[in-house]
Formats: sequence, C-alpha cells, structure tokens
Amino acid sequence: MGPLIPNGLIPVEWNYVIAILIGMAFGYILEASGFSSSRKLAGVFYGYDFVVLKVFFTSAVVSVIGLYYLDYLNFLDISQLYVQPTYLWAAIIGGMIMGVGFLAGGFCPGTSFCGAAIGKIDAIVFIIGLTIGIFVFAEAFTFLEPLFNSSNLGHITMVDILDISPYWFILIFTIIAIGSFVFSDWVRSKVKKVFY
Amino acid sequence: MSKRYKTKKFIVKREYQILAFILVFIAAGLVLLPKYKKNEGIMPELFVKNAISSERYISTDQLADKIINQDPSVLLIDMRSEKEFNEFSLPNAINIPLKNLLDDDYIGYIDQDIYDVILFSNDSFYADQAWMLGNRLGFKNLYVLKGGLNEWFNTIINPKYPDETMPREAFKLYDFRKAAGIYFGVGAPKTEKKAAPTKKVITVKKKKKRAAEGGC
Amino acid sequence: MKGKKQKNRHVYWNPYFGGFLLGLLIIATFYLTGRGLGASGAIKSGVVSMVHTVAPTHAENNAYYSKFIKEGESPLNNWLVFEAIGVLLGAFLSGALTGRLKLKVQHSPKISSRRRLIFALAGGLLFGLGAQIARGCTSGAALSGMAVLSVGGFITMIAIFGTGFMVAYFFRKNWI
Repeated sequence: MGPLIPNGLIPVEWNYVIAILIGMAFGYILEASGFSSSRKLAGVFYGYDFVVLKVFFTSAVVSVIGLYYLDYLNFLDISQLYVQPTYLWAAIIGGMIMGVGFLAGGFCPGTSFCGAAIGKIDAIVFIIGLTIGIFVFAEAFTFLEPLFNSSNLGHITMVDILDISPYWFILIFTIIAIGSFVFSDWVRSKVKKVFY
Repeated sequence: MSKRYKTKKFIVKREYQILAFILVFIAAGLVLLPKYKKNEGIMPELFVKNAISSERYISTDQLADKIINQDPSVLLIDMRSEKEFNEFSLPNAINIPLKNLLDDDYIGYIDQDIYDVILFSNDSFYADQAWMLGNRLGFKNLYVLKGGLNEWFNTIINPKYPDETMPREAFKLYDFRKAAGIYFGVGAPKTEKKAAPTKKVITVKKKKKRAAEGGC
Repeated sequence: MKGKKQKNRHVYWNPYFGGFLLGLLIIATFYLTGRGLGASGAIKSGVVSMVHTVAPTHAENNAYYSKFIKEGESPLNNWLVFEAIGVLLGAFLSGALTGRLKLKVQHSPKISSRRRLIFALAGGLLFGLGAQIARGCTSGAALSGMAVLSVGGFITMIAIFGTGFMVAYFFRKNWI
C-alpha cells in the first residue's frame, strides 16, 4: 500500500533514482506540451493560447480523481500524502508577487528549466533572476518573517474548510474545469491570433 | 455512407465532448460508489512488520534497572486478573485486565505518548496480545516485559548462580540481579512469592506514579 | 501565415493529452514518494549551498538558510535537486527529438531581446521572492497542492493567475 517510499516498500536508496526519472518525465511532458515557450505560456493572459490553463486543469482533475480512486481501492492512504501547510496571507501575497513575476518573466520555475534545457536564453536569465530572488528573500528574512509565519491554518484541505464530501468537491471541480475549457475555446475564437 | 463511417465521423467530430463526458462520468463514479468504513489504525503491512520485530520486548534486567533508578518515564501495567494482581505484582504497577484494556477508564493509560508503557503478565502471552491490540490502533511507546513475571522470578528474585566456566559478564549480571532482588525485598534466594504485598487497589485516577517502594 | 498556423497547431502535443499525462505523473509521484512535484525548491537548495560555501558563518547565522543546513550534508543532496536535474534532461530529450534545440532569445517582434532579458530577470526575481513567501511555486504549491485538495494550493493558484490577469494589460507590449 502506497505511498511506497515513506512506508519502506522501496528502499530509500532508490529515492534519488526515482527523483531523476520522475523529473525526466515531468520535463518531457512540459516541453512537449509547449511549456518551454514563454510566449505560449503568456498567451493565457491575452486569450490567444490557453495551453497553460488546459494542461494545468486537466492534470489537476486527472490527478485528484486518480488519487481518490487509489485511496478508495486501498492502494494508497490519502491521509499519508504531504499536504503543504496553508499560510493564508503568505500564500495570497506570495501568489500575487508570482503573478507579476509570471507576466514580466513569462516563465515559472518548472517551465524555465524546460526553456533553459532547449537553449532559451531568456529562460536561463529567468533562472538567474530566481536565484537572486531567493537570495533577496533569505537576506530579508527577518523583515519578511512575520508575513511568512502569519495566519498559519495548518495542513488543511478544501474538504476541511468547505465541510463537503471530497467526492462531491471533485465532481464540481471537474465540471468547473470542463466549463473553463469550453469558455477558453470561446474566448480564443474571439481574440486575434498571435503567431510565435 | 456506411454506418461505420458515420460512427467514426461522429466520434472525430465530437471527441472533446465524449472525453469530457467520460471525465465527468469517472468523477461521478467517486460520488456514486458505495462507501465503506476503512480500518482504523495503522496499515496491516506496518502492523505485521512491527509484530515480527522484537523491538517491543524489554528484558527483566532492563526493567529492574529502570525501577531501581526510579525512571520517571516508565508506566507498568499488569495485564492479569485482579485477583492475581492482588496477590503479587511489580511495584507501582497498575492493574488493567486484558479484557478491560480498551475500556474508557483504562484507555488513557495506553493511548498516550508521555510514558513508556511496559505491559506484563505471567508470561509474555497476555501482554503480547495487549500490545498487538494497542499497536494496531496506532498507540505509541508500548513495550512488553519479555517472559513476564515468571522470567522476573527466575532472573531477578531467584537468579541462578552462574557456572564457573561462564564469562565474567555472567557473574556481573548475577551480582546485579542479586542486588536487585534484595532491593525488591527478597533477601535469600528462595522462590517465595512474597515481595511487596501490594495493597494498592487499582488506583487509576491519574497517570502520575508514586516513588518506587521496596525494601530499602 | 497559413503555413505558420499549421506549425503552431502541430508542433506541440494536444494540451489535454499533456495534461492527462501530467496528471498520471503526479499520481505516480504521490504513490511512490508521498509528496508532489516541485521546482523552486531545487534553486533554493542551490542558493543555500552557494551561500554556505562562500560565507559559512553568515549562512549559519541567517534564520532562513540555517533551516536547510545540516551538519555533514550538502544542501544539494536533496530530492528536489535530483528532480530538477531530471527536468533538464527530460526537456532536453523532448527538444532534441522534435528539433527544438536552439540557442535564442524568444521575444515578441515589438520588443528588443535586451528588453526581454531585463524583464525575464526582473520576473525571475519576483517569482523567486514570491515562491519563497508562498512556500512553493506553480508546480510545488499549485499543481501538487491541488492534487491533494490543499487549500494553500488553490489560494496560490488563484493568486498567481488572478494577479496575472490584473496586470496583463501593463505587460501587453511584451507579449502580443
């Protein structure tokens, strides 16, 4: 019963081998879906290319449905999975800063790796920017610490705060995702095409 | 146009609708599938792994050492019946007969993580059973006195004098056991079930324990 | 223009197919390791080890670096670092197989590549800062978080994309 490594069913030595293999699959999928192109990524904000939204929502829906099926069939214990803690204001403000960074830089960290791997100089510069950004954060940590540690809500999930069965939430989420795909296709048909 | 071609055309034209329908159908499956209650406690694999490991055992010598040093983190629990408990038990032990283990009155003693709970009975049998129950439910810090009270008598109360051929450690151990036996109120090496006549009627009010009482 | 349009459509995978595979990969990752994917964590480890090498005392005194420094173990010896190496390899493989390997600066014809690089640097800086505050980037917090229905994952995703739409107007020259 999974997860395999935390439960000792795969020796820990395999951890890094698995990490590289998973990373390779991740990089391959991102690159092949077009995530190495910053103009394609930015398209979602201007309505000329919705690949980010489509890939993102499809993967979120598929993974959450799959994980809950595995849990239902007892292959996996969903309560053992790592849920990162929710720090409300840190998530909101950090997310907003990332939003501006996304529009300015045209990448997010994972996609910038893909871009850098196929020789996009802007992606390499973006990674340098990331490094500086993290350095700035660490140096200013004493100043940012109150924000970083404020409003800790613990390891909560949507199920906890909405007080709804996870299965119903997944169904609603799936329908919302499909609605967003239909909507994005409609928007795209209205917007002037951009070629890149 | 053949029928097959028509079907094919229909599928190609509406592939996204069909895929979306399948996705919603699968998601709805989670809602519609009959729910069942999952087993409580730790996973079977982990339980078996714990059960075959001997890490849960504590030897009588270790326990004697802990009691003599008045280790405050030890909580002794006697799994035998109340009658046997009244005849003899280890100092400061609490009596929880096995059948009452999961009663509301007693569960607080084993479902906690402050003390190292040491379970014992006449041999390891009841204690092992209690340990299995507790471990399955995910309780922490449960240990079993290896060999139980029988082993306690054979080693601490009435240690066997080592043969001349035995290594030095055996004599050291004998001395320790002898001293421990005296501590527990048995002067002479006799198999006499005496020791601290425990008048304590199940004092189950608080987790705190009194200081070790004995022959000193 | 028509030929180019053809190219736009067929050069990459169908997004739903890519999303489906990515979803399966996330499931596999959780099933194997009990945790999600990540990207910015690898760079964080890189920064920590760099600072630790250049100025060890400074790194140990800093409240943030010291969280990640363990005695006798390099901060680079980390799951996410290996995963990031894998991402580079995988993306390179995909680019090589489809003939996309090319050293270039990609930018809108309306701006110079110099301007593109400056914005990329600034964007990276902001993204790095934001990812540390929010404890994860789009892959770590939003993508993997949403798979386990984490509240933080949803909030981070809404914050990133909501802000993106709000500020999109000001950056339009860079992209359209």
